[in-house]
Amino acid sequence: MDFQAIHDRLQSIGAPGLTGSDEPRPANKETKDKGRGGTPFVLVEPAKLSDFVRVCRDDADLQMDLMIDITASDPAVDSEDLWVLVQLLSTTKRHRLMIKAILPKANASLPTCVPVYRAAQWNERECAEMFGITFEGHPDPRNILLPDDWIGHPMRKDYEFPKEYHGVSCE
Amino acid sequence: MGLLEEAFEENVLTTKVDWLLNWARLNSIWPMTFGLACCAIEMMAVGAAHHDIDRFGAGAFRATPRQADLMIVAGTVNFKMGDRIKRLYDQMPEPKYVIAMGACATGGGPYYKYGYTVMKGVDRIVPVDVYIAGCPPRPEALLEGLMKLQDKIRRSPVIRKPARTA
Repeated sequence: MDFQAIHDRLQSIGAPGLTGSDEPRPANKETKDKGRGGTPFVLVEPAKLSDFVRVCRDDADLQMDLMIDITASDPAVDSEDLWVLVQLLSTTKRHRLMIKAILPKANASLPTCVPVYRAAQWNERECAEMFGITFEGHPDPRNILLPDDWIGHPMRKDYEFPKEYHGVSCE
Repeated sequence: MGLLEEAFEENVLTTKVDWLLNWARLNSIWPMTFGLACCAIEMMAVGAAHHDIDRFGAGAFRATPRQADLMIVAGTVNFKMGDRIKRLYDQMPEPKYVIAMGACATGGGPYYKYGYTVMKGVDRIVPVDVYIAGCPPRPEALLEGLMKLQDKIRRSPVIRKPARTA
C-alpha cells in the first residue's frame, strides 16, 4: 500500500487519535526545497499514540509488525512543541508508515509503546533523556546513554552545555 | 667497568641497579586492554603481527588493571567513562604510565567545541606521560610513543631518588 491507501485504511477503521496527514514543509518556500526528506506522515494525538500503533500492528491490512524507529525532534528554540516520530514497517505487506505526534514542551508526556513493541524500550529511553519526554508506563525508565546524574536534555534546542561534571571542567 | 676489571672471573657483568631495573621495566611494559573508540583499532593493529608491539616487550595486553603497567587511552573519553578511567588508573600498581593516544584523548579532538559529554583531554583526570598526535594515529605513531615512554623510563631514577608518586 502507498501512503494514501494506508491513511485511508486508518481512517476507515477509525484508528484512535488520528488527526490528519501532512508532509514536510518546504524549508525554502521560493525554491520549494524540501530539504533532505519528503516522507509524508500521519498526525496522531500523543495521548493515543500507543493505541494507534497497536491498531497499525494488529490490523489485517496494515500488519505493521516491525518498529523501525522511535525518535523525537525539537523543531526550534522558540517552538512550544516537541515532535515524537515513529516509523513502522510491515515485513509482510512491504510498506512503511511515518507517524508524528506533536506534544507541548510544557507537558512532554505520552504513554509508552512498549506493550505493543518491546523493541521500543531503548528508543524511548533515549528520547526521554535527550528531550525530556516522559513515557508513562515505561518498564525501565533509566538513562541509557547519559550518566544517571546528568543535568539537562542535550537535544533540546535551548540546552546549555554543562560547565563542569564531577569536578572536571568542560570548558 | 674500568675499576673492576680483572676483579671477577669471566661471565660476570657489573652494572648499576638503576640501569638494571629500568632495563627490566622498559622492556616489559604490559598495557591494559583498553580501547574506547577508533584509536583502539589502530592499537589492535599495533598488537597484531604486521607492526607487532611484542618487539618492544609491550605485547602482553592484560585484562585487569592490577597486572598492567601502562594505560593506553585509545579514543574519545566522555565524562561517563572518565569516572571509570580514574578508577582503573587508581587500581594499577606503581610504577604506572599513561599514553594519551590521538586527538580525543589529548584534548577533545573533533569534539572539542560541541561535544557536551566529551572530556577535553584525559590529562584532566590522570597524569599523562606521552601524548600521541593523530586522528587516529598510525600504528607507527603509537610505536614511536611507546619508544618515547621507554626513553622516559630509561632516564628515571629508581634507587638514588624516590620513584615518582602518583
